[in-house]
This record gives sequence, C-alpha cells and structure tokens, in this order.
Amino acid sequence: MNRQHFFAAVLGFVLLALVPVFTQNPYYIHLIETIMIYAVLLFGLDIVVGYTGQVSLGHAGLFGIGAYTAGVLFLKVGAPFWVIVPASIAVTAFFGALLALPALRVSGPYLAMVTLAFGTIIQILINEMTFLTEGPMGLKIPKPTVAGYKFNEESFYWVVCAMLALSLLVVHRVLRSQLGRAFEALRGSPVASDCMGVSVYKYKVYAFVISAGFAGLAGCLYAYSEQYISPNTYNNELTVMFLLAIIMGGRKTRLGALLGAAIIVLLPKLLDDLEAFRMVASALAVLMLVGGVIGVSRKITTVKAMAVPVLGTAALAAFSFWLESITDWRLSIFGLMILFVVYYLQDGIVGFARSLLGRRGASQSTVHHVLAAGQGDPILQAVKNTGEDLLVAKQVLMQFGGLKAINQVDLRIKRGTIHGLIGPNGSGKSTMMNVLTGIYVPTAGSIEFEGRSVVGRTSSDIALSGIARTFQNVQLFGEMTALQNVQVGLHHTFESNFLDVALATPRSRREEAAATQRGMGLLAFVGLADLADEQARNLPYGKQRLLEIARALALDPQLLLLDEPAAGLTAPDIKELVSIIRKIRDHGITVILIEHHMDVVMGVCDTVSVLDFGQKIAEGQPAEVQANEKVIEAYLGGTAA
Amino acid sequence: MEILLQLIYSGVALGMIYAVIAFGYQLTFATSDTLNFGQGEALMLGALVALTLVDGMGLNYWLAIPIVCAFGLLQGAVVERIGVRPAIKIKSEFGWIMSTIALGIIFKNVAENVWGRDDLKFPSPLPEAPMKILGANVLPMEILVIAGAVVMMLAVEFFNRKTIYGKAVVATFNDRDAAKLMGINTGLVITFSYALSSLTASFAGMLIAPLTLTGATMGSVLGLKAFAVAIIGGLTSGMGIIVGGIILGVAETTTGFYLSTGYKDVPGLVLLLLVLAVKPAGLFGKSAIKKV
Repeated sequence: MNRQHFFAAVLGFVLLALVPVFTQNPYYIHLIETIMIYAVLLFGLDIVVGYTGQVSLGHAGLFGIGAYTAGVLFLKVGAPFWVIVPASIAVTAFFGALLALPALRVSGPYLAMVTLAFGTIIQILINEMTFLTEGPMGLKIPKPTVAGYKFNEESFYWVVCAMLALSLLVVHRVLRSQLGRAFEALRGSPVASDCMGVSVYKYKVYAFVISAGFAGLAGCLYAYSEQYISPNTYNNELTVMFLLAIIMGGRKTRLGALLGAAIIVLLPKLLDDLEAFRMVASALAVLMLVGGVIGVSRKITTVKAMAVPVLGTAALAAFSFWLESITDWRLSIFGLMILFVVYYLQDGIVGFARSLLGRRGASQSTVHHVLAAGQGDPILQAVKNTGEDLLVAKQVLMQFGGLKAINQVDLRIKRGTIHGLIGPNGSGKSTMMNVLTGIYVPTAGSIEFEGRSVVGRTSSDIALSGIARTFQNVQLFGEMTALQNVQVGLHHTFESNFLDVALATPRSRREEAAATQRGMGLLAFVGLADLADEQARNLPYGKQRLLEIARALALDPQLLLLDEPAAGLTAPDIKELVSIIRKIRDHGITVILIEHHMDVVMGVCDTVSVLDFGQKIAEGQPAEVQANEKVIEAYLGGTAA
Repeated sequence: MEILLQLIYSGVALGMIYAVIAFGYQLTFATSDTLNFGQGEALMLGALVALTLVDGMGLNYWLAIPIVCAFGLLQGAVVERIGVRPAIKIKSEFGWIMSTIALGIIFKNVAENVWGRDDLKFPSPLPEAPMKILGANVLPMEILVIAGAVVMMLAVEFFNRKTIYGKAVVATFNDRDAAKLMGINTGLVITFSYALSSLTASFAGMLIAPLTLTGATMGSVLGLKAFAVAIIGGLTSGMGIIVGGIILGVAETTTGFYLSTGYKDVPGLVLLLLVLAVKPAGLFGKSAIKKV
C-alpha cells in the first residue's frame, strides 16, 4: 500500500466511524453497518473469485454457518462475545475445508454447481435441525455484552467498523504475501505453479478456507447486527448477489468489494420504490444513449455494438413506466442487471473507472529497485560431485491410447553435466520432460532422481525435491510482474504461515525481504533487473524465456530442464543464453537441454541423446552423435535404407 | 418389503427424470464446455406451458407434447444466443455461468408473474389408480415417465449416430476447431445443442408434472440434483446418468419415507461430494489426460 492509498483508507475509516455522530437515525446506521458486514464477506470471496479465479456459489451457505454458529453458541452455551467471534470463524473455515477438499479437485462449472449444492444442503440442514437451530422459527440474539458493558446499536456499529478495518488489513497483507502470489499464480498458469512447487490443489483449498473464515466473521457480525436470524436469509439468491457485487464492484480491488457491498444492500431498497426506479431507469437510458452517440461519433465503437445496450436500457425505462408494482418483478430486474454487468461491465466499476482514467491496475510498490542486486550469489550452489548418476530412467514407456510417445527409453544423467536431448519434431522430447516432472505418469518403466522414484508423485512434490523446468510454450504468470514471477519460484523458501502473514511477524517480514532480494538477484543474473516491475505478459518473447529460466532457478534445483530455451531468440540473445547456461552449470546444477539450434547443443552439451519416434537412437559426445548415420537419417530422411 | 418396492418404483421414475435433465447437460457440455444453469427453469417452463395447453385450452395431453417440445427448442436457442454465445465470444471465464443463472432467475420470475406463485395440479393423462407389479403399487404415470425418458434419450442418440446432422454434432463434440475447419457451422451446432437440451428438459417437465405439483419453483432443485446425477454418473457417460439417476432417485424416496421428507434432498447432494472426493470423473466417466 503506498502512502496515498494508506491515507485514503484512513480517511475513509475516520469518516465511516463518524457516521453515528452525524446522524442519529438508526435506519441509516444499520444500513451502513450491513454494507460493512457484506464487505467483510466480499473481501474473502474476492480471494476465491478474483485471485484464484474459481466460482463459488456457496458463500451464502458459509455466511449462514457463521451466523448460526454465533446464534447457537450464544443461546445453547451462553458463550461470551470474544469466544463467539473466533469460534464462528473457525467453524465456518472448517466447513469451508469440508466443501473445498472434494469440490476443488474439479474446476470450472463443476465447482460452481457443487458449491451451489452445498449452499442448498446448508439451508436444508438449518431448516431441519430444529433441536439446534429452531428451524424456520429462527433465533433471537441480543447485542453482545463484554465485561459488563452491553453494546447498543451505535457502539456495535464501531465494533463492525473496527472488524472491517481489521479484515482489510489482513486481506491486504495476505494478498501481498507469498500466499497471495501463489493464489494469483495458480490462476495464471496451473501447470507452471505445480512445477514451481506451488501445489495448485493445496493453495486453492487454502484460499477457499481463508475465504470461508471471512464469511464466518461476516455471518457472526450479521447475527448480532440483525439480532434475529432465520434460514431463509441464506438462500441462493443471496449467493448470486454476492457474486454480482464482486463483478460489479471490480475484482481484485478492495474498493470494488466495498462498492459492490453498497450496491447489493441499497439495490433492493431502490427496487422497493417505483418512482425512484423509474427515474434511475430513465437516467440510465439517457446516459447510455449519450454514451453510445459519443462512442460512435469518436469511432471507439460501432452502431451495431451499441444497439443492444441502448435499446435494452430504453426498453427497461419503458418497462418501468408500464409496471404498476415493482416488487413482483424485482428478480427479473436483478437478472437483467447481472446480464448487463457480465457483458458490458466485465472489469467492474473500479476497472471501468481506471480504464477511463487511463491507469493500469494498482502497480506494486517499487521499493526493491533500491536494493542492490548482487549482494551474495542469488543462485545456490548445488551439490557438486561429478561422476555419479543424478537421474536414471529405465525402460520408460508413455502411451496415449495406441500411440507410444516414448518407447522403452533409458536415460542416465550425470551430475554436473549438460545433457542435450534432441530429435525431430514429435520425437517425444517434450513428453519426456513432462514425464520427468510428473505432469504425465509413465505407462511403464522407472525413473529415479537422487535415488528416489519420481513415478506417481505430484508435480509440485517433484519440483520441491529439486527438478525445475521451463516450458516450450512459455508458461509465465502473465498478470504478475517479473519479480513476482521469480518470487513464486522462491515460494519454497517461506516458512511463515497465514498467521505470520496476517500479524506481519518478524519471520514473515524477514522472509519477504530475503525473497525480494534474491528475486532481484536472479533477475539481474538473466539481465532483467530493469524490468522487475513490468507485467510478464508485456515482456518481449525472448525476455519471457529468460524470465522462465530465472523463475526455475529460484527453486534451487539440482536438475534444470530447459525446453527449447533458444526458440524465437535473436543471434546475440542466443550467445547470451549460452553463457547463462554455462554459468548455471558452473553452480553445480545439472541441465537437460532440449533444443533445435544445433550450434547451441553442440557448443554446450557434454552428452547428447537423440530421440526419434519415441525411441532413443543414439547417445554420446556431441561430435559422435553428429556423425551417427541413424541420426542423419532421422533428420534428413532415409538415404541409408 | 412391499413399501420398499414401492419406494424403489417411484425412485426409479424420479431418477429417470433426473437422467433426462442430466442428458441435457451432457449435450451442451460436449459441444461447448458450457452448461445451462437454468436447465431446471427450462423444465419448469415446459411443464407450465403444457399446463396452459392441457388445462387452460383443453388440448389433449398427447397432442400437446410436440408443441411443448417446439417451445423447448425455442427456449434453448434463446438461452444460447443471449446467455452463452456472447460469453464464449468474449472468453469471459464465468460469464456464461452468471448469465445462464441470470436468465434462470428471469424465467422463474416471469413464470411467477404469469402463472402465479401457487403450485398447481396437473391433470393426469392416464388413470390415477395404481397397478400391482410384484405386489407393490405403481402409478401408470410412473411407467410412462420411465418409458418416455428412455425413448427420448434413444431418439437423440439415434439422431446423433445415424443422421448427417447428428454427425456434425458429434464432430463438434470431438474437436470444435477441427469441425469448424471442415466447414461445419459450429456456432449453429452449439445453438442446436442448447435447443435440444431444453427440449429434453421441457419434455421431462411434461412427464413429471402429473406426478408432482406444477409451479414456478419446481425447477431449481430438480436442475441441481440432475447436475449431481451428471457428476455421479460422469459428464461423458450415457449409461452413467441412468445409473446415477436411479441411485439418486431411490436414495431420495427412501430417505423421504424412512427419515423425513425435509431431508430427502440431502443424500443426493452428499453423494455428489463423496463421488467428487473419490472419483472426480464420475462412476462411469473416463478421466482425460491433460496435455501441456
């Protein structure tokens, strides 16, 4: 958070906290209180939806669990407020884990439906478990009493306000930490995350559980705020509302969550009043028409593209005057709003405002430039002991249906060498890489790395044991900066957990500083230090390849797999690359190099293996291999037949 | 024992309805990797349109079937054009999820305003006196449901396998881009798959309406449980959804009887979570190898 944002946030909270001083109207105080409670939930939901890119339709259910934990603990046990708040968070987080563990094994539409099912189950259970929840009757809870002081409507407002500030701080810290980077990385490229030792599944569940914790806190505050909870509040309509709020406000911004919360709380009030709705609908239609005319005249957009929204809003305005009662059509209007937001306001209000102001998303802090790169060697020295075999693959077979992409291949990689893997297109080189890194499980055969089998282990586990890789088709985390990409590779150097991060303990600060410094060092190593704050997707292709190498080195590997690192590089870049590869080897790191540029392969490799149609046809010193008849035949066609 | 058998009979009938709706999910998921979160609402609209035709206008139940099916085709095409196609075009990650949910909400709300908020009785086209099979009671309507569901699914399968249009659909199932390059209008195929999917749902609505009450809220839970069936059976397996549907249907009727009707929706949804935990591809699905 830079200084400007910090002051804006403090000012905002001071203004929020002063509301009860200025107005004594309990209706307004309660309204703002509800907005703040929803905002707490939305901060959490945004972690799942905005950062990890998963759709959850179960957050109304989680919200309900939080509220009912508070209600039941108060009524059945008589627990005090300071026990109930953490208990609600813990119980809801537990249910979140219960849902996430099976549901996050799948993604996309599955997750949405499964979480929807979860929400439905929760609602049924609250309704049916009358011995605990009183069923449809609902529960009544008075405002909390702490140390003999009973909160009233006004003083409880400040409690909520403080909780919101606390939540904001925690979310902010988490998202800036290694956890936040992991969440963003797994969305950017799941395969690359796994190969950087950041288990996609584990961190998806982690994000969901944190998110559930916030939903629990919000639910608990809601119970105290309303003083009455009943099962019908936590229905599927509410869950869709939450999603609408996130999208409409804007993903990945806290301001968007606050805006979204305000919209979904105020919207139903607006839709209760027909006159107000008519005015808003008419104003919207006029605005849309003006916007459309300006857009078309400036040639930003076409008549065809603007026809639907202009006619749509006009029809909505006409519809509003035709209506006699609005309450019956509330849900339809709500549905139309979702459609509108999904198609015309994808980045939300905050994103839209940013694009109007011509600003990119909030850029990360830029302090790390000050840090001198090169304090100490950024690359750890790997165990340097040439002669023994680091990796031994025996009779590896990889079969896709009837196709044998790799057929009975043996491979011995000596420690401290650069081992070339060449062959014509489709000969199984990249498949071999994928087998070695656990992306594919070989159909048969054994692979031992440092004496331990890798077959059947997960990609992230293999990565953490010391095999790093780059990808033939670049797999960077596009929306993250170059430095953050490398820091994802450094994820394994962090020992601090969620609590460390939330409380900003010395350990977490120390690790973060170390990761920044080493990240900068690694970027300097591949010559990208100047571009540390640039988003990875904006880098030129050649630089992206170098960034992948830096990221892979961050894993402190024993073995580095480079998949066509020179593809798309210019001649001077290739020269640079060759010297980088040599330097890597000089650190004792073993390299397997797949490459089509023969001068690169012949120049740096100690040993070369040649694959053709999934079989190893030659192996040896570069010069030997170059002279091998079978190799020439494979590359140039069968003269020796 | 007699009661159990009777519960199984009605469970199977219910399960076949789930299977038909799940079949609709499979159709659209195969062509476009998307599905209609408002599938339950398509079923509800089918049932309510049928009610208007049969009860309001005095049309024969059997004659109403083709009209309802045509309505379903149209409804599905509208959903695809408004809700799915723009989202696929802008590559919005969950645009289509939100927009089909939104359309579902709108359909439900419109139905509430047109047909009212109360559940209505649908006149049964067959005698309502139960018959005895193996000593337990079966409603003739339940047999019709089972037969109708099977015929519906077979008809679509026959269409896909034997006709040239069906082959276009299957080609799009297999590889959308390759099909496009072969001159198949894949956009049209996707629209068609949605139309077909809503048709099966409308038809299912018409089948189940005489057994239950008809109303604007009848669809949501049915749609959700049918999705559970599609996952339990596997989104790619025809056999899977029938077995999954029957498991879920029977689990539901027996829970409703032996435990409490309030809990009847729980076992299916819990089963859904369990299947995902143990075998995410579904009981009959094949897990695909992801390629990098």
